[in-house]
Amino acid sequence: MISFLLYLLLAVFIGLLYHGIHRKVIARIQTRPGPPVWQEFLHTLKFSFKQTWIPMTASQLMFVAIVVIMIAIWVGGLYVLLTGGSLLILFAIFLLHKITEHGLGLSSGSPYGKFGAIRSVISAASEIPLFATVGAIYMVTGSLMISDITAYEAANGPLLLSVIALPMAIAMYVIVLSKVPYNPFGIIEAKEIVSGNKTEHFGVWRAGLETGFAIKTFVLLAAFVTLFIGALPLWLLLIAMLIVLLTMSFICALTPMLSPYDAVTIQALIIGFVVVYVVIAGVIL
Amino acid sequence: MYNLPSPQIEGEILAYIPFGDIVYYFSPYTLVLFIFALTFTALAILSRPEKQVDIAFGGDAYYTKEIPEKQMRFQRFMAISCGLATMAGVTTGDIFNFTLLTAMVGICNIGIVASVKNKHVLDNAYEYGILAMIGTLPLFGAAAIILATTGTLSLWEIFTPAVSVPVIAKALLVIGVIGEGMAPVYVAKAEITRAPGAPYVLMIHVSSLLMFLRVVEIIISM
Repeated sequence: MISFLLYLLLAVFIGLLYHGIHRKVIARIQTRPGPPVWQEFLHTLKFSFKQTWIPMTASQLMFVAIVVIMIAIWVGGLYVLLTGGSLLILFAIFLLHKITEHGLGLSSGSPYGKFGAIRSVISAASEIPLFATVGAIYMVTGSLMISDITAYEAANGPLLLSVIALPMAIAMYVIVLSKVPYNPFGIIEAKEIVSGNKTEHFGVWRAGLETGFAIKTFVLLAAFVTLFIGALPLWLLLIAMLIVLLTMSFICALTPMLSPYDAVTIQALIIGFVVVYVVIAGVIL
Repeated sequence: MYNLPSPQIEGEILAYIPFGDIVYYFSPYTLVLFIFALTFTALAILSRPEKQVDIAFGGDAYYTKEIPEKQMRFQRFMAISCGLATMAGVTTGDIFNFTLLTAMVGICNIGIVASVKNKHVLDNAYEYGILAMIGTLPLFGAAAIILATTGTLSLWEIFTPAVSVPVIAKALLVIGVIGEGMAPVYVAKAEITRAPGAPYVLMIHVSSLLMFLRVVEIIISM
């Protein structure tokens, strides 16, 4: 229990730090000085002590509960990852995250929040099948338990190097990419709708959200590395996660935010590619 | 007596509740889904609805929408029914029961939308009704094919490696659940902005996506 709490603190710390590094790298690529790498810590601390209230138009209980649920599901995700639980549960947690994104926007009564919420479900239509394709890992490893998958990799080498599992790695990469800040698929937080579904959540609520997002980034990056490279010592895992994040920073810096239609279309095309590949590979196997 | 045939997919069985030949069960996976459905059902019971802000075009005016008491009661009833169907659907161990509960989720979803007294929203509810009714065809068709080919409706039996389920039945099952779970269809239309959302409309998305999650597990386990 104590070790899990330590991991939880580490996940928050690393998640916020990686968000800061992500912003810095994007800024440097775009020849801007950018904020310091600890900017996200400052944000979270600042929001923690700002005046907080609940808008009169909000569904008040839902407005607060959704923040708690957001943090709770990713704490659960971290637990599943650390205990080598089922990849299917991680998939479920990702989907539940989409529901909380939706709830964040709907609960406030704000039209900007509502449009963010609508976009979150539109993007779910393509992101969730994309994640579901990762279930095809079962074809290769014969198990969806993360502990079994890492044992398979220890015996047979990383899945990333497997021709059959590579499309699943691409699908998972796109999923993680679509969840890092400033990504091309981030239509729910596009600036034409202010901050989208987060618009009305400020003060302590926003600090809670930032904490939840930090854990989410840690879990998704760690899951990607663990699933496709294998179980690594902690220091090596953190380096591998950082490298994966830096590749995403380059994509975020060089790619404009897509329109909702284009974001869904591109993700749907990737799903089509992966599904066709999985069907062909399944027939050949 | 009750051990899951495929613990490498969703984990070991934690508990089960037998109702005759229909056995509800909790694995780590179905437990997560159940807790989430329970949480949102509780929120639907306890929360007051949002007061949606609408901006009047051509001026600076804006106003908030109040939900009439009668409409709120009906929406809440439908949301709770939807939550109960979802909780049962994500834990059931019977494929016909699953399809039946998915159909009930679809009906409750239509009810949540249809309770709004607005011509455009009601038009939409009518269209969802057609979509959901069409969705029942592949949904129950899949259950019928599974029964015809395997001789059982029990997921406990169907999940065993000795039992082979036709790919067409799996495909029809997924299509049926997508047809009943109308969340992505609903949000793609303008009517969602006309009807106040939380916490009742949120239940449409919660139930649709949880049933989708369950069907993914069923398909992989078959």
